[in-house]
Amino acid sequence: MPTNQDFVSKVQVFEPHKASLPPLIPYVKEFWSRRTFAIELARFNDKAEYLGSRLGKVWLILNPLLLGIVYYVVIVIIRGGSDHNGLTRLNHLLIGLFTFYFAQSTVMAGAQSITLGGRLILNQAFPRTLLPFSCAIQAFREFLPTIPVYVLVLVVGKWIYPATQIAGISWNFLWIPFIIVCIAFTAFGLALLFATMNVYFRDTNKLLTYITRIWMYLSPILWLPSSLHGKAKLLLYVNPLGPALTANSRVWIDDTGLSRNVIVGCIFWAVTSMCVGGYFFISRERDFAIRI
Amino acid sequence: MPEGLAVRIEDLSITYKVSLESKRTLKNALMRASLRQESRMRTIEAVKHMTLDIPHGSVLGIVGSNGAGKSTLMRCIAGILTPTQGRVAVNGKISTLLALGVGFNPALSGRDNIILGGLASGLSKEEIESKTDEIAKFADLPDGFIDLPVRTYSSGMYGRLSFSVAVSMTPDILLLDEALSAGDAAFKEKSFERMRQLCAEARTILIVSHALATVTDLCDEAIWMHKGTMLAQGKPDKIVDEYLKFLNVGTLPSSYEDM
Repeated sequence: MPTNQDFVSKVQVFEPHKASLPPLIPYVKEFWSRRTFAIELARFNDKAEYLGSRLGKVWLILNPLLLGIVYYVVIVIIRGGSDHNGLTRLNHLLIGLFTFYFAQSTVMAGAQSITLGGRLILNQAFPRTLLPFSCAIQAFREFLPTIPVYVLVLVVGKWIYPATQIAGISWNFLWIPFIIVCIAFTAFGLALLFATMNVYFRDTNKLLTYITRIWMYLSPILWLPSSLHGKAKLLLYVNPLGPALTANSRVWIDDTGLSRNVIVGCIFWAVTSMCVGGYFFISRERDFAIRI
Repeated sequence: MPEGLAVRIEDLSITYKVSLESKRTLKNALMRASLRQESRMRTIEAVKHMTLDIPHGSVLGIVGSNGAGKSTLMRCIAGILTPTQGRVAVNGKISTLLALGVGFNPALSGRDNIILGGLASGLSKEEIESKTDEIAKFADLPDGFIDLPVRTYSSGMYGRLSFSVAVSMTPDILLLDEALSAGDAAFKEKSFERMRQLCAEARTILIVSHALATVTDLCDEAIWMHKGTMLAQGKPDKIVDEYLKFLNVGTLPSSYEDM
């Protein structure tokens, strides 16, 4: 039987917040203590998504691979030239697409996570950021198997076209965790921003479909970062994923390190996106139970 | 917070604004902005200046018509909604069943959903995994159903599973909003028994129910809420009688007219 002493340690007080943000340290502690929920939610959502599919999780690899082949046919074969340059373009396209889809899935699924998590939000008190966070984890889990696919295409391609100039394993690969972390933070911050907007304006997700498509065309995926000159290079920096995808291409394809501008660009967008998205989301999350 | 109290509510008011637009879309917002029209909002005073102490080990019933503020009050005690004014202090671990089918993904099995529901309530994975079979047993699921997708469950099974998850968290304070409507008479008796057991362990239960017999059978105290105000507090029989009179006559007793 619980005693009064047991209860005393668990007193919670709910009062109006004077500032628009709740006290951040207890919030972050609560978020961290419930991270298992986000991880398991991602795992279970992943499981549920492929339950009814005959090929199951093979789609995780097939999906981006087929998409890469479609863009390869459009961009390289139809435009001409399936030589070793074509292989370089294919590899650039694949690693760009795989990485971009990691960010896109985080943003798209995260944007819907609050409106789709209605019952959970109406029933339980927990940091709502856990729901978009779980979408980011799920997107990362889906991104990981695409790396071996890329490596396989690279190895087979190099065997067919030995003259292809694509990086093998080098010290520059040590930049990859930095790039992925920057992309994850940027995408998570944007997911928080769009998830909040989606609560207030239910057509945000429809708009997001077009935004992400345009975003992909404006990112160095279907074109090489080196094809931009002069003022056009600005495009790489005004795009939140521009610096990170440029860095991605440099490491995976060109085997070069990252320039100072690219590093600063990656960090700038990761921090800005987290601060803006986080502020927007956390300052309004107490409203979600009423709005959904 | 004084010893012996599970919940202390002091001068609590909860106010929020709702849009009067049929659909809140970006398109409508942009149209309004271009025409320099203001968004049509309505302020709802869901709970007004409420003060209440709930001791440990009590079962409090909350009755009132639709829109009385019962669910808003429960969500505020659970920490889901923030007070606009006043203060709520809660002494103990809370488990809630305020919306049926919590955390339930219909494509996943009952077992997976129990784990998700438990994790959402703040239990560790080991804790909830050790309780899964007990929860399934309490929910009276037919053999093998625990590993079938929840979409194959009947609404009764779904409700029973939700209730079982909520009561199996060994909460200090259990908040139930219309949760006892799930299940047949046998399950209802079983759930009453479980709640009596929780009370015997000095745990506190708050029940919102339109089934007034549930309130008189189970509760040792009741309150009547009307349009955000707590009109009366007392023994369940007395509160239910007064509430029933109000429902039959349609007007508030004269003693409440000024409230």
